[in-house]
Amino acid sequence: MTMKRETFFLKIVACSLLRRHSKLLTAILAVAAGAAIVSGLTTIYYDIPRQMGREFRSYGANLLFAPAGDRAALTADEAGKAALFLPADAVVGVAAYRYNTIRINEQPFMAAGAALAEVQKTSPYWLVRGGWPRAGQEALIGQEVADITRLVPGSAFTAVFTDRQGKSSEHAFTVSGVLQTGGTEEAFVFMSLPDFENMAGAGGFDIVECSVSLPGADIEKLAARINEEIPGLAARPVRRVTESETVVLTRLQALVYLVTVVVLLLTMISVATTMLAAVAERRREIGLKKALGAPSASIVAEFLSESLLLGGLGGLLGGIFGFLFAQMISANVFGRPLSFPLLLLPFTVAASVLVTGAASALPAKSAARVEPAIVLRGE
Amino acid sequence: MHILEIEGVSKIYGSVKALQNVNLSVRKGEWLAIMGPSGSGKTTMMNIIGCMDKPSSGAVLLDGVDIAKESGGALTAIRRDKIGLIFQQFHLINYLTALENVMVAQYYHSMPDEEEALKALARVGLAERARHLPGQLSGGEQQRVCIARALINYPALILADEPTGNLDEVNEGVVLDIFRKLHREGSTIIVVTHDPEVAREAERVIVLEHGRVAKEVLNKK
Amino acid sequence: MFWRMVKGALLRQKGKMLLIAFTIALGASLSTAMLNVMLDVGDKVNKELKTYGANINVLPKGASLIGDLYGVSGGSGVADKYLLENEIGRIKTIFWAFNIVDFTPYLETAAKIGGNDARLAGVWFNHHLALPTGEELDTGMQNMKNWWRLSGGWLSDADDDGAMLGSLAAERHGVKPGDKLTVEARGRKKQLQVRSVFNAGGKEDEDIYVTLKTAQELSGRPGLVSRIEVSALTTPDNELSRRAAQDPKSLSTKEWETWYCTAYVSAICYQISEVITDSAVKPIRQVAEAEGAILAKTKLLMLLITVFSLAGSALGISNLVTASVLERGSEIGLLKAVGARNFPVSLLVLAQIMIAGLAGGTAGYFAGLGFARVIGHSVFGAAITVKPIVIPLVAVLTLLVILAGSVPAVRMLLALRPAQVLHGR
Repeated sequence: MTMKRETFFLKIVACSLLRRHSKLLTAILAVAAGAAIVSGLTTIYYDIPRQMGREFRSYGANLLFAPAGDRAALTADEAGKAALFLPADAVVGVAAYRYNTIRINEQPFMAAGAALAEVQKTSPYWLVRGGWPRAGQEALIGQEVADITRLVPGSAFTAVFTDRQGKSSEHAFTVSGVLQTGGTEEAFVFMSLPDFENMAGAGGFDIVECSVSLPGADIEKLAARINEEIPGLAARPVRRVTESETVVLTRLQALVYLVTVVVLLLTMISVATTMLAAVAERRREIGLKKALGAPSASIVAEFLSESLLLGGLGGLLGGIFGFLFAQMISANVFGRPLSFPLLLLPFTVAASVLVTGAASALPAKSAARVEPAIVLRGE
Repeated sequence: MHILEIEGVSKIYGSVKALQNVNLSVRKGEWLAIMGPSGSGKTTMMNIIGCMDKPSSGAVLLDGVDIAKESGGALTAIRRDKIGLIFQQFHLINYLTALENVMVAQYYHSMPDEEEALKALARVGLAERARHLPGQLSGGEQQRVCIARALINYPALILADEPTGNLDEVNEGVVLDIFRKLHREGSTIIVVTHDPEVAREAERVIVLEHGRVAKEVLNKK
Repeated sequence: MFWRMVKGALLRQKGKMLLIAFTIALGASLSTAMLNVMLDVGDKVNKELKTYGANINVLPKGASLIGDLYGVSGGSGVADKYLLENEIGRIKTIFWAFNIVDFTPYLETAAKIGGNDARLAGVWFNHHLALPTGEELDTGMQNMKNWWRLSGGWLSDADDDGAMLGSLAAERHGVKPGDKLTVEARGRKKQLQVRSVFNAGGKEDEDIYVTLKTAQELSGRPGLVSRIEVSALTTPDNELSRRAAQDPKSLSTKEWETWYCTAYVSAICYQISEVITDSAVKPIRQVAEAEGAILAKTKLLMLLITVFSLAGSALGISNLVTASVLERGSEIGLLKAVGARNFPVSLLVLAQIMIAGLAGGTAGYFAGLGFARVIGHSVFGAAITVKPIVIPLVAVLTLLVILAGSVPAVRMLLALRPAQVLHGR
């Protein structure tokens, strides 16, 4: 019964890996540790824009829809159509606002009507003392309005609305909360859209604020497309927000990239030294094989396939651990699960095989140089 | 007919003359022992006969081929085809079973053949220990595996380096018995040894001193 | 004899010892670089964010932001209250002066151009300021609005006849860079030349920007400004700072001190209000809040990445140390065979590796500083501040890694009988 040469080759390689537990373990550990760190870092690298992008949404809206040219307002239809251009999974919130002047105690203020649930999403930085309006005829007043009118959460006030024909109507409201932003919003009175329409009648929107979790370049492209497709509507990226996001994300990515490269290098050195040590320790065995008539090519092949198998195994292990490690970071830092690019696993395995192969090339070469004579006595 | 002819061979390492103008012929089927104190050139002699080193000058005809003129790769091929090596330290690959250790030699030679490898182990009385790892075998058993491995490719020459150096008396006897059997079957055997007991078993003994053949003794049976 | 053996190993086994030293150097350099970067990344990202806008607004007490509103001008909130231009420099004299990155005053006034309404703002562009403390600095819009896209250059502070127009304003009035434009405000007229048009991607696009002096002349308010925008490096808010922001008087003396001496945005606001007469200082929550969130996440991200990559490299390095100790099995076996006891043998091996490690660690530390510099310059375009705390951290880490790598290996070798080691089985 003869056995195929290839089969026996695989048997030697497999046995050398399987029957040398501790050595195998250290080598696999070295590869797996490197692969885990590198694949984890790569996952994070690709996920940073998505994850940090969400954080950047605490800056508020990064895209505005306004009526173009001399038009006074956007129709609900136009706003809805434009919003359809935004990728659903990236939209954090879309808040459409209507503005009109009202009077409280004969002093003029700006009233804003909006879907307040969306406002809470687009403007997460608003600090509200009291609460957001829940029932009808409740209003959120800015700090400045509160200072001037001396209204506090819970107090009632009457808003006087004057329409274009000069006809005034009175509307009773309760203050649900006082808003602090440090910005112009502090001079506004916010109310739900139905309450606003009840007062000012139906009408178009003055401005639509969108908070979209997309990188700056994509926002610019999106705005250009919307401007082209919907005449009469001007989509404007809020550049202060988008650019600051782009710069910080680029920096963070570059940082993670650099770290990844260094860890990769360290892994390579570590694997190469482990393999070199393995060669040193197995010089006698190599010498014996050569004494038995093994050609150098055969020794190199055995050694390389051994390390490639190691690389594959370590890479697989490392890829899985790397994902867990990235998942852990993501859960800890962002409090959100990670999208794991499945393609990364075969990529990690391939990369580890490649790195181990490259790192073993030198040791394998030095293995081939071992003199068969060392197996004889006296050496 | 001579299987090995060494003519005027010298080997110089830097300023050290390991072998100086050595002449030696070995008949087919002969059992030769090489003796000598440390530093006499025994190891160098073995290296040259085992095709692991080349002489600085002179000719070494193994089965009619002058190995002094061959390249490294060709030497490997000659060693594989013509020589069976037996070591003092046995040198079994510790992660392969006894059977697989024998098959390694087949593998580098031509084709691994389990049945034939088993037969070779049976010849040295180890058929039932074939699936054991070297760590599970005694020293004597390991040496017998080593002998089986040396025999597997029907070498023209069996070269043994102090084959009983690491064995107790009982196992020494077992190994020498195998050698006698091989000799009866017509194998050519060269044993390098310190041990006069082992050397006495050979037909002819040469003694190296300072890189020269100092003495030649023919043992009467 | 002990030291002779240590010396012998170091000098005569140069290759192996160099390898150990090299590996440790690599690990030490990585940890030095990562730790330095990690400790500094907060400041770096903070500065980065700071270039994208002010986070503090200084207003006259009782005045309102209502002038900024969409189309509303004049009304209850707009009082004739102003800040004094000559007090602005005091912002740079507060306790946290070092954290004040940039600031610019604004004097905003309604104007008319050819009968159309327009908003005019006078600001500092890149104003040179000499402080009473003797310090000098340049500050203004140019540093604070670097996301503006300009066709043409920034206005200079001495260019009292020039103006910068927002893209929407330029469109509305039909002008382009180089054109002349007559501005009318409160009965005064002035001809200005349009130097450049900018696109800010915000409300500023509807405005006209001129030098502070021009605005003061046109509006007839010499030496006055209507508000100041300040951009400051701040520490993310916590419970204490939120409480202080509501009412600083509610804090105990000790809490007060902690709050006052920490760069919370509320503390900096409070300190500015102390030096600018009759001012109300408010954090711009949009910026402050977002920065706090992003900074906190960035720091945490860096911390975790650092910990994991350090753990990974520590594993790799201790692996190598283990390998190099195992390699010396026969030497240890020999020492035991000639009668050495376990303890001195372990001590010998450890001493040799420690010396190699010390050399490697020191070299690695300095290499790591270099590496941190490279990261700083390639990623942030600025040097990473070297923190002395990193030295003991790296030393302890290196020590732990060496011990973790060598102690189990030495123990394993000691457990073997000398004969086994010597015979290589």
